[in-house]
Amino acid sequence: MKVDIALFAYLADHQPDGVGGRHARTFDLPEGTTIADMIANLGLPDQPRVVFVNNRHAAEDSTLHDGDRLAIFPPVAGG
Amino acid sequence: MQPSDQELRARLHASSVAVVGCGGLGSNVAAMLLRSGVRNLTLIDFDAVDASNLNRQLFFADQIGRPKTEALAETLLRIDPDAHLTLHSLRVTVENLVDLVRDADVVVEAVDRADTKAMVVNTCMEALPDTPLVTASGLAGYGSANSIATERPCDNLYLVGDLESDVNAGHPLFASRVMVASAHEAHAAIRRLLGFEEP
Repeated sequence: MKVDIALFAYLADHQPDGVGGRHARTFDLPEGTTIADMIANLGLPDQPRVVFVNNRHAAEDSTLHDGDRLAIFPPVAGG
Repeated sequence: MQPSDQELRARLHASSVAVVGCGGLGSNVAAMLLRSGVRNLTLIDFDAVDASNLNRQLFFADQIGRPKTEALAETLLRIDPDAHLTLHSLRVTVENLVDLVRDADVVVEAVDRADTKAMVVNTCMEALPDTPLVTASGLAGYGSANSIATERPCDNLYLVGDLESDVNAGHPLFASRVMVASAHEAHAAIRRLLGFEEP
């Protein structure tokens, strides 16, 4: 299945192509892949984050589906 | 036909906003909302006013040591004695947050720590998916004020900031840039209360 993945802010450095930037890349993933699997595969640091799938908030144990658009955003401190 | 100024004001007067965190962002957001006509505000913060806050937060030297919610309420009531303010001087948690903000038309995240920001966003979007939430990330440092923007990454979430500038990375907080982010947050809330979904 094909899933588009966008990584915001400093997480963009973890895109496998190493190019950086927040634009989405398309990944070919096995059926049943969860968001948590992708977080592990991409080697994202264990830092606070917010996860969206298809513009809706999503839990990290959710399973991804063909055509999904996954976005992961890490808030940074300051206020 | 465009709504009249009076109709717009009436809409804002009848609205309520919960401000989670009353520091650099929240104290200024609350004042801007009130000045714009939002009279029902819930103010949530566990902290007390400190001398180090006065460089960017809407507090005064004679309020040092007082709970931020109470000090802010005092100032807001000087702006509008008819404001309806609900104060919660406590630390927000996954357990208490939803009940504190459930009745608001819009929730504004205005805390300082990254983990608390993520908790507020995750908890509100999970439990109150139909309530618009405004959050801020990336407002520290002396980067251009023009790099602070409002985005709408999903239907009911408005994301303010440059998304990068982390106070923990050694960037100081300047009143000017914090106020830009605060104004973005307040304005995103106002637009949404008036029915405009795009930031």
